[in-house]
Amino acid sequence: MSSVSAGNGPGVVALVGLRTFLGQGLCQRLLAHHRAVRVVGIDDRRPFRMDERVRFHRVDLTSPTADSELTRVLEKERVEVVVHVAFRTDPTPDLELDHEVDTIGSLHVMNACAAAKIRRLVVASTTMLYGPRPDNPNFLSESHPLRGHPDAHSVRDRIEVERLLADWWQRYPDVDVTVLRSCWAIGPTFSNQVVRYLSLPVVPLPMGYDPLLQLVHEEDLLNAFERALIASLPGIFNVVAGDPLPLSMLFRLAGKRTLPLPSPLLHRLAYYPAQGQSGDPPAAFYDYLRYLWVADGRRGWDAFGEPAYNTKEAWISFVSSRRMRRYR
Amino acid sequence: MSEGRVPHSAPESGSVTVRASVDDPDLRAVREALGDLRREIRTRFRREPERVSPPAAPAWERLLSEVRHRLATLGMRERSGAVDEFGMEEAALQSWRPVLDFLYDRYWRVDVGGASHLPERGPCLLVANRSGILPYDALMVAHAVERESASGERPRFTVADWLVSLPFVQPRLARLGGVRACRENVDRLLAAGRSVCVFPEGAKGAAKTYRDRYRLQRFGRGGVIRAALECGVPLVPVGVVGAEETNPILWKATRPGRALGVRFVPVTPTFPLLGPLGVVPLPSQWVLRFGAPLELDALPADAARDELLLSRLTEQLRGRIHSLVQSGLRARDTVWSLRADREGGPPPG
Repeated sequence: MSSVSAGNGPGVVALVGLRTFLGQGLCQRLLAHHRAVRVVGIDDRRPFRMDERVRFHRVDLTSPTADSELTRVLEKERVEVVVHVAFRTDPTPDLELDHEVDTIGSLHVMNACAAAKIRRLVVASTTMLYGPRPDNPNFLSESHPLRGHPDAHSVRDRIEVERLLADWWQRYPDVDVTVLRSCWAIGPTFSNQVVRYLSLPVVPLPMGYDPLLQLVHEEDLLNAFERALIASLPGIFNVVAGDPLPLSMLFRLAGKRTLPLPSPLLHRLAYYPAQGQSGDPPAAFYDYLRYLWVADGRRGWDAFGEPAYNTKEAWISFVSSRRMRRYR
Repeated sequence: MSEGRVPHSAPESGSVTVRASVDDPDLRAVREALGDLRREIRTRFRREPERVSPPAAPAWERLLSEVRHRLATLGMRERSGAVDEFGMEEAALQSWRPVLDFLYDRYWRVDVGGASHLPERGPCLLVANRSGILPYDALMVAHAVERESASGERPRFTVADWLVSLPFVQPRLARLGGVRACRENVDRLLAAGRSVCVFPEGAKGAAKTYRDRYRLQRFGRGGVIRAALECGVPLVPVGVVGAEETNPILWKATRPGRALGVRFVPVTPTFPLLGPLGVVPLPSQWVLRFGAPLELDALPADAARDELLLSRLTEQLRGRIHSLVQSGLRARDTVWSLRADREGGPPPG
């Protein structure tokens, strides 16, 4: 990372969503590798641990006046680069709150960025937005239409964010907008719904399907964000690891027990707990284990460098760090 | 750090600074070393205040964690076979090879002709007529190319959309080299130097009734020619005879199909009658004929954008495949046997 000189980088970076995994990781990396950069952290609550060099501001993105509060902060701190990672890592049963945080929150961030005349905006997105479809090509490029799962409300919200962002960029073309669509991240510290699902003692699966799956190591994900933040790389990029593996092979590698169930049954089983607000993961999730949604990462690799881990290595790193491996 | 620079002759006891003079070179070295150390300590703890693991863990601890990691990943690297980025698995292919060999040699007794037309090296785009419900024809063409071509490389084949969503079948087809039929996949495979066998008739070809057997359907929208032109690969026409008789569709039952959420339920001489046993393909006599590659080199540079030229070339390709199919049909005596004096095939005896 030291190859990126801090000299021509941004002076002040605002991390919107400091408490998320990406916010925390980026904050650490900026403080460690780019000492010239001043970090402004923004979230609705103070993080549990925070370096004293970070200037923290409390802004709740769900409040109706979030955009003006955020503008005030950005102007006061003379922020040049905004990193927007304040998304829910897990979809919750509370559809309204998810929508407020993800979509309306992003709208507030965009409006504040426009008002404060930001130079660069980096937004986190996911390749889940392409949607698991039997008619997907094996590798989805960045220009492929976003046809996310119709039942996955969090995916629907994020697609709306991307649409709003594209409109916004047309209105403010001199801002460098970078959208990083990452696939499922995995690693020793990252945790979300997918990671919890993958670390179940017995993993339920849709029967008769075995799609290729790609994963990205958390380090590579943070590297990509760091690059996008320091250097000017406008555009949309898939942030994925190479060499996708079949789902069954991942579980075979870890020696994990799986429970293949007919997919209608699996959907029912996952659907009713989700209605009772305890579903984890929700029914729509299982379609991501039925059909292909592998993204083409070549554009991102050209921009941010080859990832250090391919899918298998990322998975091995995850499995060995969690000591999940079973010997059979 | 510079432990090496600290001389051993320095006074061992008492306060160093009091006794020695300021320009004692040994002492200056010690002081510099101490200063270095202090600076390093400061910068280390300043720079990465939240790093959990200390940067200089004792050697035994590092060794232990290395051993732990090795143990945790023991055998994992070797456990999975090589799956390529399109999901084809060499190990799966090896385990299915006896079955494919049996089908090729014994069951359908595939008679191959014109294999000399296959390019000696480099990728090519094989274009074949589609027949039969399950893609046995694709598997057999791939098998024939692997056996008969000079390069001995197994081509991938494209699979229609409705098959891609079929549970149990789809993962197996993917392991054996099937990809979904779309331009992106074909382009990527050809660019990676792999031959692809495509079926431009698509689902229309698979859903023919027995009455329409070997009647070629419309060839997509010229995507095949465009792909070959843009990727600069030869286009080899292939005629497949015999797959139509494996599961001959007598009648397409649309109404029960609609109830089940599919377009139609095929009624074959055996299928609903014998239950699951009816899916077993019949042992018809198969004939594969490879034709001479289409001449695409003489075309202008922007031919891929000339729609009229593309459709003319598509028709030409269809004609070639049609004549290959006809010659294949002539090579058969009955549906179940070959003629002794057939042309195009290997010499008898």
